Amino acid sequence: MIKAQNVYKTFKTPDRREVKALVDFSTDIKKGEVVVIIGPSGSGKSTFLRCLNRLEEIDSGDIIIDGVNINDKKVNINKIREEIGMVFQLFNLFPHKTVLENVTLAQMVVRKRSKNEATEVARGLLKKVGILEKENGYPSQLSGGQQQRVAIARALTMHPKIMMFDEATSALDPEMIGEVLDVMKTLAREGMTMVVVTHEMGFAREVSDRVVFMDEGQIVEEGTAEHFFTDPVHDRTKLFLSQIL
Amino acid sequence: MTFNKRSLITLVILAIITVSIYYFFTRRGITYMWHWEKIPEMLFYHGPKSADDPVVRLRMGVLMMGFVLTLKISVASIFFAVIIGTVVGIARLSNEPVTRGLSLSYVELIRNTPLLVQIYIIYFFVGSMLRLSPFVAGTAALSIFAGAYVGEIVRAGIQSIHKGQMEASRSLGMGYAQAMRYIILPQAFKRIIPPLAGQFISLVKDSSLVSVIALADLMFQGQQAVARTYYAFEIYFTVAFLYLVMTFTLSMATQYVERRLAISD
Repeated sequence: MIKAQNVYKTFKTPDRREVKALVDFSTDIKKGEVVVIIGPSGSGKSTFLRCLNRLEEIDSGDIIIDGVNINDKKVNINKIREEIGMVFQLFNLFPHKTVLENVTLAQMVVRKRSKNEATEVARGLLKKVGILEKENGYPSQLSGGQQQRVAIARALTMHPKIMMFDEATSALDPEMIGEVLDVMKTLAREGMTMVVVTHEMGFAREVSDRVVFMDEGQIVEEGTAEHFFTDPVHDRTKLFLSQIL
Repeated sequence: MTFNKRSLITLVILAIITVSIYYFFTRRGITYMWHWEKIPEMLFYHGPKSADDPVVRLRMGVLMMGFVLTLKISVASIFFAVIIGTVVGIARLSNEPVTRGLSLSYVELIRNTPLLVQIYIIYFFVGSMLRLSPFVAGTAALSIFAGAYVGEIVRAGIQSIHKGQMEASRSLGMGYAQAMRYIILPQAFKRIIPPLAGQFISLVKDSSLVSVIALADLMFQGQQAVARTYYAFEIYFTVAFLYLVMTFTLSMATQYVERRLAISD
């Protein structure tokens, strides 16, 4: 489903230093797989996600999604993005639109669905994430957890093949993390291909097929959750786990 | 529009200032014969216009005709300035160096030369080549002038919107133009209403400069009336008051729109 081969990505900081975000990064993600990426901040986790839908352009290497090299000049990136849902740390709901409008807009503009059709799809998904009763409210009237669930519903309206979560619970108050993780777990059980950057080790343990530990733009260690949490091999992984667990 | 307490207070203060100035002039022993009675007929009068048009009916006086023309040229210029400004604001943020360079040159060129000079150039040079009427030339000059300022305001507005908004839109498959149209610009415009209002008010006042190309706006009509009658104080007070009517209405209208749009915050 997703194949990253020898991907390099470098950022220039405002003071012209170069920061290597991804260094010769390669991985394969199969259809239906739930991959959790963990690692210290600045390790390139989010950068990898953002390269998958070209919010960031890679310097070299190949990213192939569903058989299409997404960095190909001829590729219509908007078509690819329709297939990859993304959920952000800060939700990024559209503050000037109601909940329902947030969830119908892209359907009408991008998928060219009629308003009725879009509303029907939207209501179905708002119900799924348990927030249908707020459909006429504005994002600012919702709690963080509710906003993030709307954001997940918004991404799902495009019927993506892949869902990416970029620290989706990091900005939430502790008591709201659970409601968002529950929605993510439901998706995982339904067989969605998911790439999840998170600090929620419980989620990684419970639903992930594979845990990837990144540091300094590279994969240090990867494996099943069980292997990863009980029997890590690398010292760097052990150190990280000892700091967070 | 709700005529609320705040606007009432503003009006009262303006009235007090006006009355004070009036008394200052009259009580300081300045022997000026006021002829306020001549002013109403410059606004409206009942009678024939000329020998060619002898029908007796209610007609607009010279100042009211000027008021209407100023209103027309201001509305037209605001309309075009917003269009120019939106295009320029987006172009200023383009990834394309040529587009960015061109829009920056436009802004710098227009902002750093006097409007009066621009009006003369557009009317006498461009206007005579393209055979533009004074109204079209005047509207063009004002639109191009205000467009540069609006462009900078729009640019700042777009930049003030969190980049996550563009990323969320794009990650849903929207193109750049769609994201701008549905997500970024609506939020940006809401945020820039106060500086835009200031710009529009400036534009209404700056429109008095088009009187130099014999466009019969409020200022021009006022000058002509003064030249005819020598009632300089009365006429210029009235002209100022009429400009105030336009700008104050604009002020109130934008505050109203601002409050209405604040609902989703």
